[in-house]
Amino acid sequence: MNQALRNPLTYFLFLLPALVLFIAFFIYPVIVAIYYSFTNWNGFANYKFIGFDNYIRVMSKADFWASVKNNGFFILFSCFIQVPLIIFFSLLISNVKRLRGLYKTAVFMPSVMSTAVIGILWGFIYDPDVGLLNKILGVFGIDPIMWLSDEKWAMIAILITNAWQWTGFYIVMVLAAILSIPKELDEAAMIDGATGIQRALKITVPLIMPIVSVVIMLSIAGAMKAADIIIVMTKGGPAGSTDVMTTYMMKHSIASFKYGYGYSISVLIFIFTLLITLAYQFLIARRAERIEY
Amino acid sequence: MKKGLVLLTTLLFIATTALTGCGGGAKESGSSNGTTTPQTETKTETSSEPFELKLRHTQVGESKKNRFNILQDVVKTTEGEIAGLSVKLDGVESEVNRKEKLRAEMTNGDPPDIFDAFGSPDVKLYAENGLVADIAPILDELGIKDQFLSHTQWEKDGKIYGLPVGASIEGYFYNKEYFEKNKIEIPKTLAELDAIAEKVKKDGKIPFAIASKDAWVPLMTTNNLWTYYAGADVTKGFAKGESKWNDPKMIEAFAKHADWLKKGYFKQGELGLEYATQRNQIINEEAIMMYDGSWATSVFADKAQSGKMHGKVGFFMMPPLNAGDGYSIMFDSNNGYAFSQKAIDDPKKREAIKAFIKNLYNEEMQLRGLKEDGVIPSMKIEQAKLNETVKGNDLLEAILAQMGDVKYTWPAFDALVQADVNTALSQQIQKMISGQATPQQVGDEVQKVQDEANAAQ
Amino acid sequence: MVKLLKKSVNHIFLLGYLLIILFPFLFVLFSSVKTDNGAISSNPFGIPTEFAWDNYVKAWVNANIGGYFWNSLWISTVATIATLIIGSLASFAITRMRYNKLSFVTFQFILLGLLIPGNALLLPIYGILKQLDWLNTPMALLLPYTASAIPFTVIILAAFMRSIPSEIEEAAVIDGLRAPGIFTRVVMPLSVPALVTVFIVNFMSNWNEFLLANYFLSDDTWRTLPVGMVGFRDAYNTNYAQMSAGIVYSVVPVMVIYAFLQEKIIEGLTAGGVKG
Repeated sequence: MNQALRNPLTYFLFLLPALVLFIAFFIYPVIVAIYYSFTNWNGFANYKFIGFDNYIRVMSKADFWASVKNNGFFILFSCFIQVPLIIFFSLLISNVKRLRGLYKTAVFMPSVMSTAVIGILWGFIYDPDVGLLNKILGVFGIDPIMWLSDEKWAMIAILITNAWQWTGFYIVMVLAAILSIPKELDEAAMIDGATGIQRALKITVPLIMPIVSVVIMLSIAGAMKAADIIIVMTKGGPAGSTDVMTTYMMKHSIASFKYGYGYSISVLIFIFTLLITLAYQFLIARRAERIEY
Repeated sequence: MKKGLVLLTTLLFIATTALTGCGGGAKESGSSNGTTTPQTETKTETSSEPFELKLRHTQVGESKKNRFNILQDVVKTTEGEIAGLSVKLDGVESEVNRKEKLRAEMTNGDPPDIFDAFGSPDVKLYAENGLVADIAPILDELGIKDQFLSHTQWEKDGKIYGLPVGASIEGYFYNKEYFEKNKIEIPKTLAELDAIAEKVKKDGKIPFAIASKDAWVPLMTTNNLWTYYAGADVTKGFAKGESKWNDPKMIEAFAKHADWLKKGYFKQGELGLEYATQRNQIINEEAIMMYDGSWATSVFADKAQSGKMHGKVGFFMMPPLNAGDGYSIMFDSNNGYAFSQKAIDDPKKREAIKAFIKNLYNEEMQLRGLKEDGVIPSMKIEQAKLNETVKGNDLLEAILAQMGDVKYTWPAFDALVQADVNTALSQQIQKMISGQATPQQVGDEVQKVQDEANAAQ
Repeated sequence: MVKLLKKSVNHIFLLGYLLIILFPFLFVLFSSVKTDNGAISSNPFGIPTEFAWDNYVKAWVNANIGGYFWNSLWISTVATIATLIIGSLASFAITRMRYNKLSFVTFQFILLGLLIPGNALLLPIYGILKQLDWLNTPMALLLPYTASAIPFTVIILAAFMRSIPSEIEEAAVIDGLRAPGIFTRVVMPLSVPALVTVFIVNFMSNWNEFLLANYFLSDDTWRTLPVGMVGFRDAYNTNYAQMSAGIVYSVVPVMVIYAFLQEKIIEGLTAGGVKG
């Protein structure tokens, strides 16, 4: 028995491709990024080591912190607005029998489209003169809003677009978890006279917490790497008000010939992601996972 | 244990070689997937030895179709002259090409054979790193070296690293009918321009069309303003540390721009609008004046694009502070084509590039560019021929005529400052537009980056 | 009666949500056959009075959707399958082969990948591809796409494979199968639900990917759909009608595929994923 599954050659060959790719595209780049982040490399010629200069410069820039804050908005928006909506709609869909298939199909639909196309589509919807949204607001007598060109609205406009794309994807995940809850639990509570809302809050929601925790983790990961939608919709504008760390990095590395500086931002993104993930794991996820069926 | 270790090392060796073999195979299968494109066909060896030249251009979209036609004709002629040559055209939007694509390709050491570029500071920097070819020898061979008005932006140490396609000036396009109907005269001082803007604003129209998603668009106006307040030569001094962005005169210029913003002279929501939409504000008569480059004339000369405004648009230069001070305008030939060093090193490609230069940079094409596209020639051409060509095109005639009144000319700021200063200024001007930065802050913040950039030189 | 009312409240909310999802599509569809921006602006919600079908002709010519679509399709598919093969080999070794300590360490090591945000590594990966001379070739996307999905794939597949009872493979061993045989004939067939899930998730993220595709490929030949569409938008952004036609082109094939496979996609996404 053990002989068949204890073959070093096979074991090694099976693991090798994954490890090679993983090291080449995860570990090695991190090391490279750290190395160059201490230099003044401009992308072409020689460079010299300048210690922590890049880091000090980045950290002293208000614009950089504004971009960090925008990553924060992404996280807060997903955790406190998107996640409750996801739970709410999943519960609604699980409660109806008719049209359930239609709802499931439709809500998932935006997730199969590419983010770039969605960005273009919503850019059109947000157009101040021609776009759909201002036309609808106009029906209610609300003045046109300069969605993507007003720094008060641009970030919200992007967050809404992002939510439009991904909410359905998570609903489908949560819905599957709800539907896999044993019927007996719910029926017992019904006999005890609990109302629909009580049952949802007391029984269903606690039971789906593990998957909700996964959804939050995925949202945080998504929030930390959001960049495509911003590049497509606003290029970080107006006046950098929608820049996230990644777009800030692109703007200040390739376009300005400051690769060393750009690499130091890479490293900071990595550190921030690490901190947030660890904080989430220790503070929240541990508690949520303790609840078992 | 020891046996296992030996085995492991052997395996590692075998596995690595196997893996590299695998990688090569995948690469091959990758390109075989492209058999649908003509690119792979040219790779097959035949007696006529076909070869390919990659040409990156920025003539994409409706408004640049005339210029694209010219380019296509030049390419066709060149392909006819050089046996086996096929030119592959790759169009990318100008700002994306300049700031992202080309800069990434350059650091990668692999630019297209022929590419649209900006002479200064871009091409000069690439040249320092040996990526762009010196074409002075080719120009000598063709005998056209001294036929250009100026290639200063493309020159370094007597070498020429590219050729401007045309020259351009910047100024105000305006609705002639509206000016006549409301008895508005062409302004002779900045104060008069102010008064016109105020009048237009009161009339319920937008004085100045604008689209500032890309910051260079509003910066055209700011740039002209600061040359009036701080002098035509001030921009040259920034990179040398001789002048400062937060000089009181500069702040005055920024403040002027901010003042116009505050008074609502520009289209609202400008920061979300793409440059290509700016002229639409003139065409749909929403706005009355538009600060733009002379290249925009092609739009107003084309009935399909300009609609009702066809032939009804005039041009004047931004007037000086005091009457009689003399006009100071942007006049430059910083945009054109440059050629990769690698391509020049290949004798066949060099031959093809030489033919391309010959076919694009000649009197006929320059005049055609002027006539069809409103591009001011970058080569020396007799005034009589120019006048002949623009006859019937009021707008072009007006532009050419006014160029005679100019006292000071200067290149746009982006040709004179380092790339990261440009990035900083772009960010700050957009902040000023959205009300997040005062003129003083704009000057101070940009100067900070300027100091850093100068120190790094 | 009350129950009926409650049910319809559910439906009202859900139909509202449905409207938010579907209305933008309708808006684009209507806009794509309107003559110009003016026609869209004056009649944003309605069906156009005169149909401008030539928007579709122009968009097809100008946007080169066909070529970009094909590039996206094969690059995404190849990278996804490569991840699946490499990831399942590793997962099998980690969960089913008898090297528990080594496997534990390897697994934790790969888990690290989840903490590394791909976008932050864009610049160094760019540098690596440059050294390998792979920029501007499909390899510039195939390799990073394949690699970036490995941590996620291994985690899901390993979790699933762990849950396969060991009696099954003991029987296989008695039948004389060795590790590769157990992998291909026993474990892989049993892991199909998880494989489907991983395939869908990875395919979607490759299909969507914009940032790397935008920076790593500058040649038009290999441009993928997201990048191609944005280029098209940049060039024709004044003409919303034509742009809408372009959007319709890029969306319809995906919708058709989704319509046929939606049951599989949604079931697949949840079958392996939720349990894993």
